[in-house]
Amino acid sequence: MIDTVEKKYSLLDNSFQNFKVTKQDGTIIFVPNDEANRHYKEIQEWVAKGNTVIDNPPE
Amino acid sequence: MGSITRSFANLITANGPSAVADGSVTAADISGNINFRNIIINGDMSIAQRGTSASGITDGNTYHTVDRMRTQITTAGTWTQSQSTDVPTGQGFAKSLKMDCTTADASLDADGLVIVRQDIEGQNLQYLKYGTSNAESITMSFWVKSNKTGTYIIWLYASNASNRQISKSYTINSADTWEKKTITFAGDTAQAFTNDNEGRLRMYFFLAAGSNSQSGTLATSWEDFVKANRAVGQVNLADSTSNYINITGVQLEAGTTASDFENVPYDVNLQRCFRYFEKFGGGNIHGGSYNGATTIGHVQYKVKKRATPTLSGVTGNNVSTTVAGIDNFHFTGTQPSYVVAASMDSEL
Repeated sequence: MIDTVEKKYSLLDNSFQNFKVTKQDGTIIFVPNDEANRHYKEIQEWVAKGNTVIDNPPE
Repeated sequence: MGSITRSFANLITANGPSAVADGSVTAADISGNINFRNIIINGDMSIAQRGTSASGITDGNTYHTVDRMRTQITTAGTWTQSQSTDVPTGQGFAKSLKMDCTTADASLDADGLVIVRQDIEGQNLQYLKYGTSNAESITMSFWVKSNKTGTYIIWLYASNASNRQISKSYTINSADTWEKKTITFAGDTAQAFTNDNEGRLRMYFFLAAGSNSQSGTLATSWEDFVKANRAVGQVNLADSTSNYINITGVQLEAGTTASDFENVPYDVNLQRCFRYFEKFGGGNIHGGSYNGATTIGHVQYKVKKRATPTLSGVTGNNVSTTVAGIDNFHFTGTQPSYVVAASMDSEL
């Protein structure tokens, strides 16, 4: 079960890289922006339920 | 001459030297040859990269132990899953997948269910010619053992332009006894498999099903998805903590008869599993200097992944970001930055 989702950005060029997902049991996974990835699909379902992805892009 | 002939026979036949006693080899003789006729990957349950046992499994829909075998549970007790060494005697298997009920649910919710499943990529199914008048029948065979006798359901779910289903029941006749089951499904002439890397055919072992999956008429022919028709008659394996089930030797193949289980070498099986999940560890992958204090490094996968994988369990030193690609991931951090372990998951 997803607890939080945060967008992660590159140290090299500040481009969006992936989603850092923290699960309710504390497990952390890094999910690509790929519709064929099952964890990406789970994020979309999680967002559709009204949850928000944390997005703090670098300056 | 004789010794050469016998060696050849042992290599290519399922039936042994007697199959070429007259010097000829027929198509039937080479039925045991490796040709990837089994649509199921890791059907002998021999690969378990994530671990060999997982306890406390409740609601969820993910992978725990045996590769490619997904577990789906909705409000139906608590389970331990393991890669077991309990196998049918004399059949050539070394491992089975075991589901052991540790907290019972004797009165399932309407949506309750326990399932072990495998999802199959559409691009591996095109030769079945679904969606045409030549759609192939497919035959499933497997070994099963449980303390709980009765009716169980195999459900095939095809998720393409529309969602289609077919179900067949089988019976576990004798408690605590390995039994081989064979089930043939007609081909679906109405809908093709989309030719891509998504899970277009899903094979489900139902172990428990609430009334919402049982209140209709079992879909013994292909039909559009109706939840109530998918698991009619299924026993509730979740109704006692004494309950367990072992499964191995799962094969799904084109045609109306079950051939002997297609044994593939361990390394070949492992390579096939790597497409969907791979665990890296045991070595340090150091990054190189990118600009000043920033380091960038790459970890090459053993096998190109089905899709861009999810990264987890990334350990190392000063790893700030990780970015997965289809055949490697790169990491960045401040020097010295290196990766010690990681898991790449592109399962369906």
